Amino acid sequence: MSRALRVGIGAAVALAALALPHALTVPYFLHLTILACIWTVLAQGQNLVQGFSGYVSIAAGGFMAIGAYASALLSVKGGWPVWTSMALAPFVAAALALVVGYPSLRVKGHYFAIVTLAYNLVIVTVLNNYESFTGGEAGMPNIQRPAALVLGGLQLSFAGREGYYYLVLLAAAAATAGGALVLHSRVGRVLIAIRQNEMVVDALGVAAWRYKLFAFVASGFLAGLAGALYAHFIGFLNPEPFGTDQSMNAILAVTLGGSGTLLGPIVGAFLVVTLPEYLRVADTYRLVVYGLLLVLATIFMPRGIVPMVSRGFRGMATRLAAALRPRPDPTP
Amino acid sequence: MTRIDGRLVARCTAVLAGLALCATAHAAQKELVIGVSDALTGPGAVYGLPQSNAVQMAVDDTNAKGGIKVGQDVYKLRVVAYDDKANPTEATNSVRKLIDRDGAQYLLGFCCSGPTSAVASFIGRENVTMLVGNAAERAITAQGIPNLFRTRPPADFTGSAAGAFVAKRGVKTIAVIGSLDVSFYSQYLEAFEREFTKKGGKILAKETFGLKDRDMTPQLTKVRALNPEALLVLGYVEPCAFVYRQAVELGMKMPRYGFTSGSEEQFLKVATSEQMEGVWDLRPTELTVSALGERANAYVAEYTKRFGIPPSPSSPYAYDQFYVLKHAIEKAGSVDPKKVQDAIRSGGIPPEAIMRYLPVGSAMFDENGQAYTTNGAFQWQKGKWVYVSDLPSDPVAYSKYLRSLRK
Repeated sequence: MSRALRVGIGAAVALAALALPHALTVPYFLHLTILACIWTVLAQGQNLVQGFSGYVSIAAGGFMAIGAYASALLSVKGGWPVWTSMALAPFVAAALALVVGYPSLRVKGHYFAIVTLAYNLVIVTVLNNYESFTGGEAGMPNIQRPAALVLGGLQLSFAGREGYYYLVLLAAAAATAGGALVLHSRVGRVLIAIRQNEMVVDALGVAAWRYKLFAFVASGFLAGLAGALYAHFIGFLNPEPFGTDQSMNAILAVTLGGSGTLLGPIVGAFLVVTLPEYLRVADTYRLVVYGLLLVLATIFMPRGIVPMVSRGFRGMATRLAAALRPRPDPTP
Repeated sequence: MTRIDGRLVARCTAVLAGLALCATAHAAQKELVIGVSDALTGPGAVYGLPQSNAVQMAVDDTNAKGGIKVGQDVYKLRVVAYDDKANPTEATNSVRKLIDRDGAQYLLGFCCSGPTSAVASFIGRENVTMLVGNAAERAITAQGIPNLFRTRPPADFTGSAAGAFVAKRGVKTIAVIGSLDVSFYSQYLEAFEREFTKKGGKILAKETFGLKDRDMTPQLTKVRALNPEALLVLGYVEPCAFVYRQAVELGMKMPRYGFTSGSEEQFLKVATSEQMEGVWDLRPTELTVSALGERANAYVAEYTKRFGIPPSPSSPYAYDQFYVLKHAIEKAGSVDPKKVQDAIRSGGIPPEAIMRYLPVGSAMFDENGQAYTTNGAFQWQKGKWVYVSDLPSDPVAYSKYLRSLRK
């Protein structure tokens, strides 16, 4: 694909995303889009660990909880401005990721996954039981939205869904841009090398653990940001949405969309949020149908949707180019 | 010139008049969407699904009688029910869908506290009326949200009455096993402990289990070593049934008290009637025909006929929600949620109500939007929950306490 075409498609998508709130007649779809954007932030973080370096972390839900509770506690109990709380929350999650990631990354493969699963369970258990601080299972109500911003005489309010949509859209775009920066940097190349053969990376004298730790901490940072955005959007927190189900869904979003690609987590995040909602027509069978669709998608699209669609487009372009190529004159 | 047939004109006129009449009648008959958000699958479904069924049953009965008459209009009702899986995010999604896409202005159901609290956090900004059923978390009505009402009393309203009852029966030491990380059980226990210790009782141990735990023998073994005079079991039906069963299997013969609100059928899926014999359930006076009378009998019969299984004891909270709403709409003479809320706030107990409510003044709901039922002591006797007595309950004092929690 030529650069001009890529820029054109990117601009069209950006314009469509900006115009979306005005195009939707049912606000419920905007609600789902906001959740999907928050999920995109989470999935881009998961992609750094899972897609780039090939390590499966089952702690995304836990780090999301840390970000959500950090922001909510700072603003509700600490009385800090919401913007400050939201800005600090990802750093709290990243700091925890640094502390737990350092010892955890000594183990590899399935053992790493099991260690991170344990972290997620511990985080949720602490949030459930430290009632005096977190509200426990009863939760924390009345978490406020951030205050309106005035930019060049223009007031941007986040109290409604439309304003909040632009905030989460910006966060999702920034997370994707961050992923692109990493992917095209030396760090990204080392991470991909780790995914392909970590032993060779070590043999070349590169300290692989540093790069893995970077990916894990950056993933925790983005999960924390997603958590802060979630907390102030929903307005209520209890530990229920941050269990291992959430972490598994983050893995699923990356796998389904396309592990190691930039667009994959976006596609996966939208599918993970919207598919169960659209399947409500299947009533009590919806989760069975959802599960079946996921199994089929994993069997028939093991590399994810984005790589499969890209391959399809490339094939079409090749055939089109061949068809348009002038044929040699058959006459002798 | 073409001759116009007089009979043709007459026929055309009759058809047009008929069409006009149909159109008028159609204009007068409208549809009102009743949204239900509840746990229809997962562990919470033992409470949520019967609630959803109960609303559907009440709506079907009302539609069969012609609907709700409001001024010149007659409203037929349509239930749209979504599964929230007892998850806060799912509940937010389903309620957003009900309001934004399905146009529901009246929301019923809500069996579990977490998802209900999530919805309560934004419902005050919406032009809708929300009626909460079985979700017992105190904070839901402690906030004084003007468009939110709850038919079930908070857990600690029942817990203090239960503590006084157990102490009165001469129990001096008790061990607790329960889902203590679930807030309304911990609130029940907090109020229970306050009353129980005030009367000289002592809690020897507080052991917890998860919602999905099925093997309770470690907790029971630990508790048995402390030799308590009685056991208090708090939690959802299934895990509690396992506690009762495994206590018998371990040879523990002390009296067993609990707070579960499970039906006979729900308990008998896990434990035998012999294993359940003598167990006490100290809870709001929910669906037990011997406690609630003939109307409850008819409700159980109709529900069983329609859905093939008996209703859960807490399901009438949702059935009663609907009749609260119906009478409020008729009283308000409007389907405007704000006028309906005023009518609910000043209205009495609907004649179709199954539960035994204790009015606060002349109204069913207090200033917090909270209704109160009587609390009862039920005992398992020969395969059935038998109503033994009321528990001492003071809704006026509790209402003041609830109001004092508002920030």
